[in-house]
Amino acid sequence: MRAARMLLLAAGLVLTGPVAAADWTWRLPDYVPAPRVPTDNPMSAAKVDLGRRLFYDKRLSGEGDIACASCHEQARAFTDGRALSPGATGALTHRNSPSIVNAAWHATYTWANPALTTLERQMEVPLFGDDPVEMGVTDANKPKMLARLKAEPLYPPLFKAAFGDEAEPISLANAIKAVAAFQRSAVSFDSRYDRYLQGKGSLSEAETRGMTLFFGERAECHHCHGSFNVNDQVIHVNTRDAEIQFHNTGLYNIGRDGGYPFPNRGLFEFTAKPADMGAFRAPSLRNVALTAPYMHDGSIKTLAEVIEVYSQGGRLVKAGPLKGDGRRNPHKSGLIARIDLTAGEKSDLLAFLEALTDLTLPTDPRYADPWKQAQ
Amino acid sequence: MRAPILLLAAAGLAACSTVPADDATQPVALSFELTSAGRPAVCGKPLGPLGTAKTAAKLHDARFYVQDVALLDAAGKATPVKLTQNQWQNGPTALLDFEDASGGCVGTPALNTAVVGMVPPGKYVGASFTVGVPPAQNHSSVEKAGAPLDSAAMNWSWQTGRKFTKIEVDPKGGVRKPDGTKAPTWFLHLGSTECAGNPAKGETALCKRSNRVPVAFPAFDPATQAVRLDLASLFAASNIAKDQGAAVGCMSGPTDADCPPVFGRLGLSLETGLPVEPGKSPAFTAVKKP
Repeated sequence: MRAARMLLLAAGLVLTGPVAAADWTWRLPDYVPAPRVPTDNPMSAAKVDLGRRLFYDKRLSGEGDIACASCHEQARAFTDGRALSPGATGALTHRNSPSIVNAAWHATYTWANPALTTLERQMEVPLFGDDPVEMGVTDANKPKMLARLKAEPLYPPLFKAAFGDEAEPISLANAIKAVAAFQRSAVSFDSRYDRYLQGKGSLSEAETRGMTLFFGERAECHHCHGSFNVNDQVIHVNTRDAEIQFHNTGLYNIGRDGGYPFPNRGLFEFTAKPADMGAFRAPSLRNVALTAPYMHDGSIKTLAEVIEVYSQGGRLVKAGPLKGDGRRNPHKSGLIARIDLTAGEKSDLLAFLEALTDLTLPTDPRYADPWKQAQ
Repeated sequence: MRAPILLLAAAGLAACSTVPADDATQPVALSFELTSAGRPAVCGKPLGPLGTAKTAAKLHDARFYVQDVALLDAAGKATPVKLTQNQWQNGPTALLDFEDASGGCVGTPALNTAVVGMVPPGKYVGASFTVGVPPAQNHSSVEKAGAPLDSAAMNWSWQTGRKFTKIEVDPKGGVRKPDGTKAPTWFLHLGSTECAGNPAKGETALCKRSNRVPVAFPAFDPATQAVRLDLASLFAASNIAKDQGAAVGCMSGPTDADCPPVFGRLGLSLETGLPVEPGKSPAFTAVKKP
């Protein structure tokens, strides 16, 4: 009995130890559990500091011409304002640049990829991806890229501080770990809605009506956006088994059999199961007013238009190669129904969504470009 | 309590007596060759004609991983070859590389056309291997794994795995796509698909479609014979001048119409990711060494 208890205690220490033991403290509201951090990449202030440098450094790319920050701008809650983003060769990404904010709590990464479960592995996609090329790192140019990092006087001491126990701290593997740690540090819980939840502020009447709609059975937004991170795929220190859900929201219906355009068929790209056609991960709606355009392919320009699509229970594409009535997509989630919101309800919902904008994140110096800050 | 211990001991003994690590003293080298209609397929030289449309083409890339190389005795029993650990071989996995980065090929100058290792002395009459990377290595991080699993080109980040094959050809005149545009390269990226991780357990992934190709030659002498992958045979049922949608060529997409012909030549079922007849892969043949 005693041995079992000690084992339990030890297991608990292993889980929380690296986070608590290092010089890192999560400052989170009481309704937010600490994120799960990979045991081989514990948080530390030095690592986050280094990761922030690298995140904003174009030298961390194949030809030194594109940085993580090129598609993830702080002022836009770490998105880029484009429908699709050009990579190093000018080729466009297949999907809309997602926010890095609160990504520490995501169970899977990118718009629909059940295989990507850590930020560390996710980062290999933009770094090495060749369809399309994003940051353009290859076997051939990797040594030059590492040489560029080693030539920056700030980096050797920063890598040493973060990975000092290693013989050669400057490596791409460690750069990935540092950027992942910086991304985990980018937390956002200071919206008007958070201040209301924490008793530090109040919501307007329109925002309150919008919140009631959002969490109520009329608009039912909460089914997919109901967590503290305003989405439905969440993992944290206490998670025993993560629920991984993807949803078809009726954006397309090509050929009337539910088709979405390649290579944006969502979970279907992995499983080839008709039921997974058009199924994507519900994104967090935190800071959503800053992250236009919307949807996995950036195909909706404004938040008001997004609300209109949900009000109609999907989107009718009237002409062109993508023609089809998404509202009648046979694989559409049962949670998306035509609800014909009134003009007043739409503006109330919009008001609530705008209250999810973090008031400090877009200018918080902890997440800003360190190369532009005074040394 | 006593029975399980005995069982465990027996299992341990059995494992020891079948593959005594120190007994692997007989060197073996399994040679591979890449050809096109029987002639060496090399960068910069014309290939073909290839496929149903008899299309002239040039090599763009030609690399593949093999795992579980073994020699077979007369009864068909496999004895694993203990691979020499070097920049081409890691654990049970080896990378074969037929492109030298010249003449329109992408990749690295170095070539690697043989798997080398040791077996316990014995009478062997055949050989077998599997095109692929074992699951335990397949999902390792390309930045943490040792060579040759550290190749970014062979990394398949979106499935958190490896491309088992990166065989790419540039057909003369390009590849015509359904929307009327053209692409320069027809890709054959074989790899495990329908992979999913368990976020509660970190970096692990399980794939529903293995897409590994076991190849066995019951009669094979490594001293005088080589394993041949022939591109004309591999693309015999494909039209490489025309893409039928989804990825250009076949990137193992379960609904990509360009996959069934080439999967058929590999001896794989696109639907299940399993071999149609284990050991049989029409594109691979045993030939006399040149």
